[in-house]
Amino acid sequence: MASYLARRTGYMLLILLISSVVIFYALRSAPGGPSGGGVLSPLSSQEVRQAYEKRLGLDQPVYTQYFIYLGHLARGDLGTSLVNGSPIVELLATHARNSLVLGLTALLISYVIAIPLGVLAAVKRNTWIDQLAMGGAILGMGIPNFWLALILVYFFSLRLGWLPSAGCCDPPQLIMPALVLAAEGTAVTMRMTRSSMLEHLRDDFVRALRAKGLPEWEVIIRHVLRNALIPVISLTGLRLGWLVGYALIVETIFRWPGVGYLLVDSVLRRDYPVAQFFSLLLIFFVLIANWLADIGYGLANPRIRVA
Amino acid sequence: MSRSEIALEVKDLRTTLFMRDGNVDVVRGISFRVKEGETLALVGESGCGKTLTALSVIRLLPDPPARVTQGQVLLAGEDIRHVPEHEMRSLRGDAISMVFQEPLTSLDPVFTIGDQITEAITAHRKVSRQEARTLAAEILREVQIPSPEQRLKDYPHQLSGGMRQRVMIAMALVLDPKVLIADEPTTALDVTIQAQILDLIRAEQERRRLAVLLITHNLAVVSQVADRVAVMYAGEIVEEAPASELFANPRHPYTQGLLSSIPSAAGDRKHLYTIPGRVPDPRALPPACLFAPRCPYAINRCWNEHPGLVATDGHLLRCWNPQPFTALQAVEPGRVDPSVAASE
Ligand SMILES: Nc1ncnc2c1ncn2[C@@H]1O[C@H](COP(=O)(O)OP(=O)(O)O)[C@@H](O)[C@H]1O
Ligand code: SF4
Ligand SMILES: [Mg+2]
Repeated sequence: MASYLARRTGYMLLILLISSVVIFYALRSAPGGPSGGGVLSPLSSQEVRQAYEKRLGLDQPVYTQYFIYLGHLARGDLGTSLVNGSPIVELLATHARNSLVLGLTALLISYVIAIPLGVLAAVKRNTWIDQLAMGGAILGMGIPNFWLALILVYFFSLRLGWLPSAGCCDPPQLIMPALVLAAEGTAVTMRMTRSSMLEHLRDDFVRALRAKGLPEWEVIIRHVLRNALIPVISLTGLRLGWLVGYALIVETIFRWPGVGYLLVDSVLRRDYPVAQFFSLLLIFFVLIANWLADIGYGLANPRIRVA
Repeated sequence: MSRSEIALEVKDLRTTLFMRDGNVDVVRGISFRVKEGETLALVGESGCGKTLTALSVIRLLPDPPARVTQGQVLLAGEDIRHVPEHEMRSLRGDAISMVFQEPLTSLDPVFTIGDQITEAITAHRKVSRQEARTLAAEILREVQIPSPEQRLKDYPHQLSGGMRQRVMIAMALVLDPKVLIADEPTTALDVTIQAQILDLIRAEQERRRLAVLLITHNLAVVSQVADRVAVMYAGEIVEEAPASELFANPRHPYTQGLLSSIPSAAGDRKHLYTIPGRVPDPRALPPACLFAPRCPYAINRCWNEHPGLVATDGHLLRCWNPQPFTALQAVEPGRVDPSVAASE
C-alpha cells in the first residue's frame, strides 16, 4: 500500500509538471495578451505596451518566464492579478470557498436524489416508478448544462420571479446553479445505483439473508445497497472531476464567483498569473479526486483493504 | 407416530414456473415427512427440482417465475403456505433454517462473520449487541471453529470454504430451529472437508433433535447421514424408504441406476453403469412414466399410464415393472433396450 501511494503521488506530480508547461505555453500563444487588450486598453500606444511587458518580464523568452514563475511558486509567492492587483492568495480564499459550497451542494443534492431513486427503481424494476426514474435520468444526461440553466432561469426567475437569476452568495442564489451542476451527475449516479442494485440483488447471499429471517428492508438497504454502493462511491472521484469542468460553464452562466468563473474570466482577460494558477489548481483537484476515489473504493470494500 | 413428532410435512406440493413461453410444473405433487431427530435425504440428478422444493418449503422461491400452485407445507403441524409474509419471516432462521450450496457466495462479502451472525440473532430476539456477540462466539465454538472470538472479526474472504460452511451452519443453528434444510451443503467442498461437514450436521442433528432435510445429488453423502431417502426424478418422488432398506433393496430402475453408477472403493470404473440419456426438459415430459425413455425395463404400460406411488412395508415405489437390483448390473453400461430407444 505504501509503495502504491508513493507511485500514485509521483505520477500526480509528473502530470502537474507537464500540465504547467502546456498551460504556460498555451496561454502565451493565444492572440492578444495582457498588453493587447486584455489588461491595457487596446488604444494604448506601442511604447506604453512595451514598457508594460518589460515590467512584467513578458518580453523574455517563454521558458525563462516559466522558470521564473516556478521559482516564485517554490517560494510560496503566487503572484497578483494583472487586472486589479489582488493577491492570488486572497482570490483563492474567496473563490475556492464559493466553488466548494457550490460543488458540495451539487454533490449532496445528486446523492440525496439519485441513491434512493436508484434503489427504488431497482426494487420496483419494470414498474412505472422504474420507468419514470429512468426517463428522468435520460433527460438529465441529455440536456446540456447551459440549456438547462436557461430553462430554469426562464421559469424560476423571469416567469415566476422566485429565484434570483444570478449572483452570490445567498442560499436562493445557490439553488439553481447547484441544481444545474447536479443534473448530469444525478442521472449517472441513479442509473449506476440501479444497475448495481440489480446485479447484487441476484447475489447468493441475498437469499441466504432472507433465509435468516432478516426484514426485507434490512436485506435491501443494509446489505444489497452497501454492496451496490461500492462502484457508485468509486465514481465520486470521477464526478468531482466532471464537476470541475461543468463548474466553468455553470459559474459563468450564473455569475457565481467561484474558481471556474475566475478562471474563465482571467483567460479571457489574459490575466496570466491568475489563469495559470487556477487552471493548475483545478487539475490538481481532479487528480486528488481520482486519488480519493481509489482510497474510498478500498475503504468500502474489505476484500481490497486487506489485499 | 404422533403428529407432534413430525417437524416438517409436505403434502402434494406443486411448484410452477410461469414463463413467457408457457407454464411448467417443476415440482409435481411431492409429499414427504421429516420427524424430529430424523434426516430425510432428497436425492436426484441436477435439475430434477430439489432446490425449488426446498425454496417452496421456506417460501423463498424466485418469484417471478416460480410459485407454489398446490399443496400444503406443515411446520410442526401448522400450515405455513398461506401465513402472512411477516409471520413467515419470523419463522425463517428461527423455527426453520436453511444452508445453501455455495458457502463462498452465501455470506455478504462486506460484513464480518460476527456482524452476520449477530444480525441473525437480533432479527428474532430482543438481546443486546453484546449478548448476541457472546451467543455468536458460542455457536462458532460449537461448530468447531478455532478461536471463535477472532473469527467474529474476520470477513468471509478470510476463511476457507469449509470454514465458511461451518459459519453458515452455525448461523442456521444459532436460534435452535426445529427444522434444517441443507441444500447440497458439501457439493462445493473438497472431499475431505465434505466428510467433516456431514459429521458436523449429523452431530448437531443428534444433539438438538433436529429434523434435517438433506438435499443432494450424491448417494455417497446420503449413505453417510440419512435415516430415510426419497429419490426424486423430474419433479416427482419415485421411491422412498429407510436408508438401509433403500441401499440394500433399491427397487426403482432410476435408483438402481444411481447406485450402479457410484464408483465402489474397489474401483471397477470401466464397467460402471451410466444412466443413458438426460433428465427430461420439464417443458417436454414423456407422456406417462417420466423415466421411461431412459429405463431399461420400460414396457408398453410405462408409455401409456402414469405410475402411482405405492407403499409396501414402508417402501414407496412408483414403477410398473420393477426388477431385482442384480438384473441392472447385467445390462451393458450405457445401453438400453432398442425398442425403448426407438420410441423416444
Ligand atoms: N429461476 C428460475 N428460472 C427458470 N427456471 C428455473 C429457475 N430455477 C430453477 N429452474 C428450473 O427448474 C428446474 C429445477 O431446478 P432446481 O430445483 O434448481 O433443480 P435441482 O436443485 O434439483 O438441481 C430446472 O429445470 C431448472 O432449470
Ligand atoms: S414405470 Fe416402467 S419405465 Fe417407469 S421406471 Fe418403471 S419400468 Fe421403467
Ligand atoms: Mg439444486
